[in-house]
Amino acid sequence: MTAYVIRRVWQMIPTIFGVILLIFILFNWVGGDPAQVLAGKISNPDQIANIRRQLGVDQPYWVQLLIFVKQVFTFDFGRSWSTNEEVSHIILTRVGPTLTIMLPVLFITTGLSVLFAVLVAYVRGTLTDRMVMIACTVAMSISFLVYIIVFQWLFGFILGWFPVQGWSESFWKNLTYYAPLPIMLAVFVGVAPELRLYRSFFLDEIHQDYVRTARAKGVPEKGVMLKHVMRNALIPILTNVGIALPGVFVGSFLLEVFFSVPGLGREVVTAVNRSDFPVIKAVTVYLAIITMVINLLVDVMYKFVDPRVSFK
Amino acid sequence: MSAILDHPPAVAGHHSPGLWLLAWRRLRHDRVGMVSLVIVVFFLLLMTASYMGLVASDWSQEKGVSYANPSFLAGAENLEAKAMEQRAKAAKAPPVDLSDVDPLAPRYKEWEERAKKIAVTEVKRSETLPLGGDKWGRDVLKKAIKGSEVSIFVGLSSALLATLIGTVLGAFAGYWGGKVNDFLEWFYNIFTSIPYILLILAFAAVATSTGKFGKGIVPIVLVLSLTGWTGIYRLIRAEYIKHANREYVKAAQAIGASNNSRMFHHILPNVSHVALVQLSQYTVGFIKAEVILSFLGFGVPVDMVSWGTMLAEAQNELVIGKWWQLAAAGLSMAVLVTAFSLLTDSLRDALDPKLR
Amino acid sequence: MGLRAAETGFDPVLVYDRYSVGVCENLFETLVTYDYLARPPKLVPLAAETVPEPEEGGTRYTFRIKPGIHFADDPVFGGRKRELVAADVEYAIKRFRDPRNRAAYAWLFEHNILGLDELAERAKKEGRFDYDARVPGIEARDKYVVSFKLKAPNYNFLYFMAMPNVVPVAREVIEAYAADTMAHPVGTGPYVLREWVRRAKIVLERNPDYRGFELETRYADMADEWDRRAIEALAGKRLPLVDRIEIYPIEDEQPRFLAFLNHEHDLIDELPVSFINQVLPNGKLAPQLAAQGVRVFTELQPEITYYAFNVEEKADGTDNPVGGYSPERVALRRAMVLGHDREQEIAIIRKGQAIAAQSPIPPGVVGYDPDFRTDAQDYDPARAKALLDMFGYVDRDGDGWRDRPDGRPLAIDYKYLAGGQEYRQLAELWVKCMTELGIRLQPSAVQFADLLENRRLGKFQLADDAWIADYPDAQNFLQLLYGPNTDQSNESRFRLPEYDRLYEKSLGYPDGPERNRLYREMTRLLFAYAPWRLGVTRTFKHLQYPWVKGFKKHPILYTNFKWLDIDVAAQRAAMK
Repeated sequence: MTAYVIRRVWQMIPTIFGVILLIFILFNWVGGDPAQVLAGKISNPDQIANIRRQLGVDQPYWVQLLIFVKQVFTFDFGRSWSTNEEVSHIILTRVGPTLTIMLPVLFITTGLSVLFAVLVAYVRGTLTDRMVMIACTVAMSISFLVYIIVFQWLFGFILGWFPVQGWSESFWKNLTYYAPLPIMLAVFVGVAPELRLYRSFFLDEIHQDYVRTARAKGVPEKGVMLKHVMRNALIPILTNVGIALPGVFVGSFLLEVFFSVPGLGREVVTAVNRSDFPVIKAVTVYLAIITMVINLLVDVMYKFVDPRVSFK
Repeated sequence: MSAILDHPPAVAGHHSPGLWLLAWRRLRHDRVGMVSLVIVVFFLLLMTASYMGLVASDWSQEKGVSYANPSFLAGAENLEAKAMEQRAKAAKAPPVDLSDVDPLAPRYKEWEERAKKIAVTEVKRSETLPLGGDKWGRDVLKKAIKGSEVSIFVGLSSALLATLIGTVLGAFAGYWGGKVNDFLEWFYNIFTSIPYILLILAFAAVATSTGKFGKGIVPIVLVLSLTGWTGIYRLIRAEYIKHANREYVKAAQAIGASNNSRMFHHILPNVSHVALVQLSQYTVGFIKAEVILSFLGFGVPVDMVSWGTMLAEAQNELVIGKWWQLAAAGLSMAVLVTAFSLLTDSLRDALDPKLR
Repeated sequence: MGLRAAETGFDPVLVYDRYSVGVCENLFETLVTYDYLARPPKLVPLAAETVPEPEEGGTRYTFRIKPGIHFADDPVFGGRKRELVAADVEYAIKRFRDPRNRAAYAWLFEHNILGLDELAERAKKEGRFDYDARVPGIEARDKYVVSFKLKAPNYNFLYFMAMPNVVPVAREVIEAYAADTMAHPVGTGPYVLREWVRRAKIVLERNPDYRGFELETRYADMADEWDRRAIEALAGKRLPLVDRIEIYPIEDEQPRFLAFLNHEHDLIDELPVSFINQVLPNGKLAPQLAAQGVRVFTELQPEITYYAFNVEEKADGTDNPVGGYSPERVALRRAMVLGHDREQEIAIIRKGQAIAAQSPIPPGVVGYDPDFRTDAQDYDPARAKALLDMFGYVDRDGDGWRDRPDGRPLAIDYKYLAGGQEYRQLAELWVKCMTELGIRLQPSAVQFADLLENRRLGKFQLADDAWIADYPDAQNFLQLLYGPNTDQSNESRFRLPEYDRLYEKSLGYPDGPERNRLYREMTRLLFAYAPWRLGVTRTFKHLQYPWVKGFKKHPILYTNFKWLDIDVAAQRAAMK
């Protein structure tokens, strides 16, 4: 297995290079000139050229590309072009708020979805099942934007149950006071698609032969569900969670913008708007690496959960 | 003897009905599926009618007062419209004379005469509109219809393009294997390693800043399809890997079919049901993505309306009590997307009964 | 309170956005500043003893610093109190021209102080700025006196010295914190930076060692209720009174507004226009807000918005239909101006929170003439159409759109900032109005960086634009059309020799009838040649709860924290 892991890590390198290339083409070649933003109200071409020199964007493309590659391997992307903050500092400080919201969202959503999926799979084929499925579909058809606007207005403003927006220094205050409304929103919106998906996983398992065997043996239905079906359905469920994991780090920028949470998602959107290349580069590369590492971990975990799986 | 020979048609014609016919029969019995189909077809017809200008072609005309109330709320207070009426003309000082510096001065007299001859028509604005008006006084109902057309069109065309890209790439990867597969897998990994939101933002920012991506809805369609093809690529590639070694393909090779012919003439029809289901899932996904892009300012251009632009406008309207644009766009989108999703489910069930 | 957009940092030379500069206003002190209550704005001394008189025909200004002003404590000073001296002023000015700082306000000290340009040139060549080099135009005559000598008369130099970026700083501090000066502001001002969570929270606390001051009432207008209330609340007290200020940058309108309504914030700066009818239905304060005693301060900011035509014949290499100075091209621009319904812009998009700009000089700025107006910028579609017909802009190919006089199709592109609803709506209005005239207008949403670049380099035909006063003098606005400023602030690329001649002449005069006459001439040329469609001057509503005392928004100063008082008991009572 070590050989497998090593091979996978080795295969990551060309992908990372591809990511670097793509981002470079998009932003260096086609993207906006950050010197314009930094130059302020009155400036002359001289000043702009000066700024470009300071930022290093006046060098030939291949030089800039090489610098980029070097940055990836030394994990030093320099400073943000708009706030002059160290990029690594930006990422480290923004990840906290994003995770404060996204991790609870992940746990609660997965927990609730699995629970409901089991219940619905238990009563599969009945009217309840159909109704729940349709309710999910309807819930999924409303745009997240609409949910945010309405929830913020309803719960924050009209009912006053939660603060409309904001963030603080204290982790506990954030978790218990500022985060609940965004978390609630994300969970509400996230459960529906997961529920559908997990239900289909459970149903896949239920139709397998071994389930019929278990029933024939006289195992009560509840036992069948909990002991057999659940354990086997856990694999695709965990795979799904694994796929969602990298997204947790970027967070939902919509939530962050509307609720003024100083998180990574909002930071990324601002960076793209300002052509703040160092931040964009760093976030993209780090996230690409995280994604690949998580995929590898999920695959390795497969092996432990299901001994039948072998590595090519 | 002759009896048998007399009835060759019966023998030759008796083949099992194709996948599609079977699927259609199964679909017919699925009540939810049929209802959804009807709704989707209704929207498509509406879309076509709107495209041809039969309905809502005057959506951009300002028939009503600003934030006109919906007819069912006819008596309610409309502060915005009142505010507009009350903008009194301030007393004006005499305008300054430009004739000594104005390059147009020599033709002042002719100008005055021509201006007098041009009539200016005053349009009477109504106090209410069926589903209310937006800030300009445009009819929300007509906007919703036109918005449906644009949003569905964006969703469908992006989905078609994404499906096309993903299918072609998936076919090549799955069929050829080897170096082709390795290269395409590398390409796929790049796109899936970057978080979707970042990818879309990056492409959208670039697409809007340079004019080279085209005008109108072309940039947004390109952005959505160039970032969204990865899902179907995966599926089609898996299918092609499965099929490439099947008997009928080897048979095709034996009769001299070229690689291209085998890929697209023989295998493709057998995987098209996968593509179709994916296509309709994409449509739903892209319609929703368009809303987010419009919110960020990367959506359809100014002279067009879509669900996304309506919802973006509605953002600040809820707090001042004008909920009808949010409701109209939100609801029509919800109905269409729900119907489309349910139709997709039914379609998938109909095409592959094992997945019950 | 909630800010409209996020800040970048607090090094006065490095920042230029209103919010960072606003915070700097409280951390540092300029030599001269504006009186809090005086309207129109009046310069008064702050770190200097008096406001200097221009010497030597407006080319020399000598400042005497008040002795006994100290910087806020910082570890760099080694436990000692650090007094403000003339050398600190000299150092600060030099920092503006250091290429490494990329100072957005470097232009303040370009082409004026004797010898400074040469030093900056040397710095560019040598790669480092020699701060120890003598500059003939900056004389630190003794510990507290610094005198500036300019190459040419500049009667606005004192305004430059009043800008919140132009503050003395301690050289040891800057050198010690080198790359992180944004987070370590050390000034002589009444507040210090206590906490900073980038783009989320800024906390300022009163510096207990600050010398304090009293409210100057000499220039107050007793007929103005805000002046009366401020005097009542602050008279005789040692300012500043507020001990702690928490600032939250919130970019989106709805959450910022809702936070104020929920008492999470005490004030809201610049009420978002979309909520105006909810807060002030029919111009009167909404009952539930009036019941809480909320006060509304209406401010007409010294700014103008305008739409710039690129008047060069070629834009970005292609033929530009709206460029040129011939009667034919001028007619097209004039017609487009006449066809644009500014009233609708004000009423619907800006919800009545603006007044039409009648000249490039806004109210509140020295040189503004309230009686000066023109009808060349009023909405008159009949005259617009007549003008177009007259000069041959008619539909020749039958596609429903007017074509150029030579028969080629006419299409004009309009660039606006992507991402904002307001800009999109302004674009919608233009498209609407031009379609009514039969002119094909093609709007395109552009990213911020690209829009700035396009406007600066003339890669556009029509774009929306704005300018807010850096200092309250008309010259700051009229320089926007001065030929040599093309590629900088003259985004229209307007080069009319007559205009330039008048502008240069006006530089030699202080404020007075002679200068105003010249300004009137220049404005007439603007109306005639129409390089701009003048937009509006916006009014902003600032809301406060009644426990906030002493509030009066200053047109030039960014913040007024130093003059506020909070009735803490009332504040706590309302939070329940």
